[in-house]
Amino acid sequence: MIHNTKCECGHQNHIGTVLCEACGKPLREDMQSQEPLEMRYDGVARRSQKSNPNIIDRVWNFFSSVKIAVYLIIITLLGSILGTLLPQENTFIRGNPADYYGPNHGWFGELYYQLGFSRTYESWWFITLLVMIGTSLVICSLDRVLPLYRALSKQQIRKHLSFITRQKVVYTRELDVPGEDFARDMEAQLKRRHYRVHREGDALLAEKNRFSRWGPYINHIGLIIFLLAVLARSIPGWYMDEYVTVPEGEAVAIENTNYYIKNEKFTVDYYTDEELPDHLQGQLRPKLYKTQAVLYECTANCNDLVEEPVLEEVKRHDIIVNSPLSYKGLHAYQFDFDDTPKLAAVQPSLINKETGENYGSFELRMINPELNYKVGPYELELRSQYMEFAIGEDGNPTSLSRDPNAPAFFFIIKGPGLSEKGETYLYFPRQVDKQRFSQDQINRHISDRLELSVGSMEGVTFAGATSFLNIRVDTAMPYVWVGAAISMIGLIMGFYWNHRRIWLRVDNGKLSLGAHTNKNWYGMRSDVASAFKKMGIEVDPKSLDNGGKNS
Amino acid sequence: MNWVEFSSDAFIAAFFLYCFGFMFYVIAVAGKKWSNRDPELHVKRWARIAYIVSALGLLAHLTFFFTRWIGSGQIPTSNMYEFMTFLGMAIMIAFIIVNAIYRKPVLGMFSLPLVVLIVAYASVFPQEVQPLVPALNSIWLKVHVTTAALGEAFFAVAFAAGLMYLLRVVDFKGTGKKARRAQRWVEFTLYVIVVIIAFIATVFIFRGMGYQASFTQELVNIDSRGVETTTVQEVDYGMPPIFKPYNSEVVEMESFLGMSKPLFETPSWMEGVNAGRKLNTIVWSILIGSLLYGLLRLALRKPLGAVIHPLMDGIDPDDLDEITYRAIAIGFPVFTLGALIFAMIWANIAWSRFWGWDPKEVWALITWLFYSAYLHLRLSRGWQGAPSAWLAVIGFVIVMFTLIGVNLVISGLHSYAGVS
Amino acid sequence: MKSARKKIQIVVLLGVLLIGGYAIGKTLFADGNPIPVAGDRAPEFALLGADGNVHQLSDYKGKAVVVNFWGTFCPPCVKEMPEFQKQYEKWKDSNLEILAINLSETDLVVSSFLRQFDLEYPILRDQKRATERMYGLRSYPTTFFVKPDGRILEVFVGGMTEEQIDERIERLLRTTA
Repeated sequence: MIHNTKCECGHQNHIGTVLCEACGKPLREDMQSQEPLEMRYDGVARRSQKSNPNIIDRVWNFFSSVKIAVYLIIITLLGSILGTLLPQENTFIRGNPADYYGPNHGWFGELYYQLGFSRTYESWWFITLLVMIGTSLVICSLDRVLPLYRALSKQQIRKHLSFITRQKVVYTRELDVPGEDFARDMEAQLKRRHYRVHREGDALLAEKNRFSRWGPYINHIGLIIFLLAVLARSIPGWYMDEYVTVPEGEAVAIENTNYYIKNEKFTVDYYTDEELPDHLQGQLRPKLYKTQAVLYECTANCNDLVEEPVLEEVKRHDIIVNSPLSYKGLHAYQFDFDDTPKLAAVQPSLINKETGENYGSFELRMINPELNYKVGPYELELRSQYMEFAIGEDGNPTSLSRDPNAPAFFFIIKGPGLSEKGETYLYFPRQVDKQRFSQDQINRHISDRLELSVGSMEGVTFAGATSFLNIRVDTAMPYVWVGAAISMIGLIMGFYWNHRRIWLRVDNGKLSLGAHTNKNWYGMRSDVASAFKKMGIEVDPKSLDNGGKNS
Repeated sequence: MNWVEFSSDAFIAAFFLYCFGFMFYVIAVAGKKWSNRDPELHVKRWARIAYIVSALGLLAHLTFFFTRWIGSGQIPTSNMYEFMTFLGMAIMIAFIIVNAIYRKPVLGMFSLPLVVLIVAYASVFPQEVQPLVPALNSIWLKVHVTTAALGEAFFAVAFAAGLMYLLRVVDFKGTGKKARRAQRWVEFTLYVIVVIIAFIATVFIFRGMGYQASFTQELVNIDSRGVETTTVQEVDYGMPPIFKPYNSEVVEMESFLGMSKPLFETPSWMEGVNAGRKLNTIVWSILIGSLLYGLLRLALRKPLGAVIHPLMDGIDPDDLDEITYRAIAIGFPVFTLGALIFAMIWANIAWSRFWGWDPKEVWALITWLFYSAYLHLRLSRGWQGAPSAWLAVIGFVIVMFTLIGVNLVISGLHSYAGVS
Repeated sequence: MKSARKKIQIVVLLGVLLIGGYAIGKTLFADGNPIPVAGDRAPEFALLGADGNVHQLSDYKGKAVVVNFWGTFCPPCVKEMPEFQKQYEKWKDSNLEILAINLSETDLVVSSFLRQFDLEYPILRDQKRATERMYGLRSYPTTFFVKPDGRILEVFVGGMTEEQIDERIERLLRTTA
């Protein structure tokens, strides 16, 4: 069936056009009533309104529909709520999530975990929703923006009478001045109100803020860029989120890179009691903690197991919580710290118990100590070391952990007054361990003659605080911000200005005026009313309303 | 001079000015039939008085804000009390803007009590100035929180306008199924507002009485490594315990109305910090609220909605619909900017990830998606009018949940301290 | 004009399919659990041995390998070491290798500890807990039974008796046949 799409004004319209593209006359049969016109997209045919859709058209129409878009938004909204019911897996840094949900939240927690809701925002269905929203953004916009642009860029000035009288804001009146004069005056008034006016004799089209119509589409483009940028993070090398533990004074390698980061010095300031309100008194609340950090790049021997890597300094920065070290897209953030005092080294002295003579002292490190020491006439050979000393189940000495929490050193001492093969000596640097394990008892064969002990706190060196840093690379970030900014611009364009148009024609002394805006009819009416007022015609804005629904 | 103390005085002044503003708006709208003067003049005169008083209230409120800022050395938006008062202030500002466009006194009649309610709710929380945790110390804090609050303020005004639309449009005399359903939902909304008022009143009454009850509670927590830890903590209640905390013993408890022992125990599946105290508070609020509502119904002999409905006569519902839409249209970009974009910038700096699916962030997204759906639905004809008004009401409920519910019920990086 | 539109439609839908497919596919095939389990490739490592040589896992490709993570501070690890030695002797002529990776302890601690035992299989030294992190260890000891093709046959968490080691090595060696 061939639909007649040629309008009485002579213009040939596309199939599906609601209002003639040229003169605005309503084209369809059912539009002969006096109901306010459907002005969406200026009545232009949109691609998705064609008949006989094939599969591609069907998919296209599906994603182009606003109804579907709203459904997608609502479903995403509901899905997001599900992920807030219980903590998500990505909030656990250590440990196995499987062991958390059931034990802590019973059957609900277990079900939650099994159904995958503990990973809601990384699940396939959530990502699918986002993909569909992205698709809808693309197709909705493409489907509408091109016809809209076409319709708005070639607008006819003298519109069909029924087009004008079926707008939502209408005013008609018998004039007692010539039509052209009236139109000219109106043109001046509207120009004063910043309208762009095109006049053809006694008909005019006044238009304002057309740019605001593009707002939603620019917003959509921004959102699309945003989503694509977020997706781009999965490109290998574009994203890293690692935690490193850097004890003071040490440089730690950053995995998957050639970088090392060093914690030269770590400081923390706590709030004093004066600065804290009463109920927080006595608590340790950090005010400011910072790592004086240095970033190195490894230039040689980077993966060698035997040789030390050769490091070249590339950046220095004091890292505090809101101020990371940044270098070529790599950022090191202050995440946490541990300043519980840990033993680093002691300087014990060898003392003759009988004479009280002090033969001298030596530096004994907790980590990788020297194996041989000479103190006075004595030689000490370090045979074994226990990081956290304990007597095991089998009665033999053992260690409980890898950290020097209760260090013990097993020496063979050779020298005057001792047997040829040397005597054993088990040394505990910490006083509390010395007492706990009865150092003197263990070494009783020698402890009445010789003793290893640290004289004062001066002989004790503590390790500095350990700083926990979060290393991040995020090449896609700039694009995320660009997308967000474009989206914001689109929102502001679209919501804070309205596209207003006024059509006017005089036929045989009768003035017909129609106006349309995409939002804020209140403002449209008051614009028209005050323009008339300036011309001496009193009009109540409310009376201009021709019915129909607000947008 | 002590700025913080002065700020408290300014705050009280603002509160009372808002109350008076509300009363004058009621006189303006409701009283236009009383006086034997020209109703239009009456409305105009009293609306002007109400507006001036409200504006003075806002001035006092701004004074509170800035003097507190000077006195504490940090912007007063970092705990629940400060933020809520700021939100009240922002709603006042949003109201003034919308009122400047549409000049409808009845909007004041609904917006001002909303402000008063939010400010009163804020006062429930601890007011002391608290030093900032390092994570919060950034200029983006100021920008994010204030902008988000401003966006939400417009949503609040839209809520007021939406509620007004429903009260204007719902047929309280109708008996059809649809009319009945609409009446019931409007009534329910008003009932919830009564419960909130009851909550605030209950807190202050018991506080005024100096009521105290405390318990020791034993909690077992299994962390993500399967390690079980048992903690014993003290829980304080500001209201008589109808529900005592799970697995707890009474340390001391004043008796109230003959109740000398807790009546029930909070079920174990209610987890989270202070679940017992929160449940107890909610139960009390619902009790007192229902009582209050019952008394009101008895006194008025009609549903509350039916009482307010006649006050809305003479107002064009289309205008209310437009105000609702316009308020959301103004607020949405502001909300996007504040609650999403500035939040992402701040999160990126403070926690080195711009989005972590933290419950607070997700609920901000949910709010955003909801209003986005609203704006898209407005494009379709069937959604203007009453459905749109309901959406505006629901939307604000979501906003409130994001601010209050997430902080107090769900925990995360974002939580502030709760109270009562 | 119409065909140009159709082309745009097809291009857009194709783009959606590709990008969307990639995004969704990522979630389905994501390494939700980066910890190697049976069937996965055993992650490659290159560690210094107590013998002073560098040992890579790939050096042992073609052989059945038992990778055991141990520490001096871990009583069950210590307990099972003599068992491993016995097993190593038993299966000497088979295509079997046992690699015992120490959990980043210091030189003296490891060397003084080893003096108590007479272990013939290679002892490797993990540095800065890198390898144990790669293998996602949660507790010690953990032992990986790796097939000649480099894939993991079985993971055992906890100390093992000689019988338990024996039956697993038997199973492992059957895969070399």
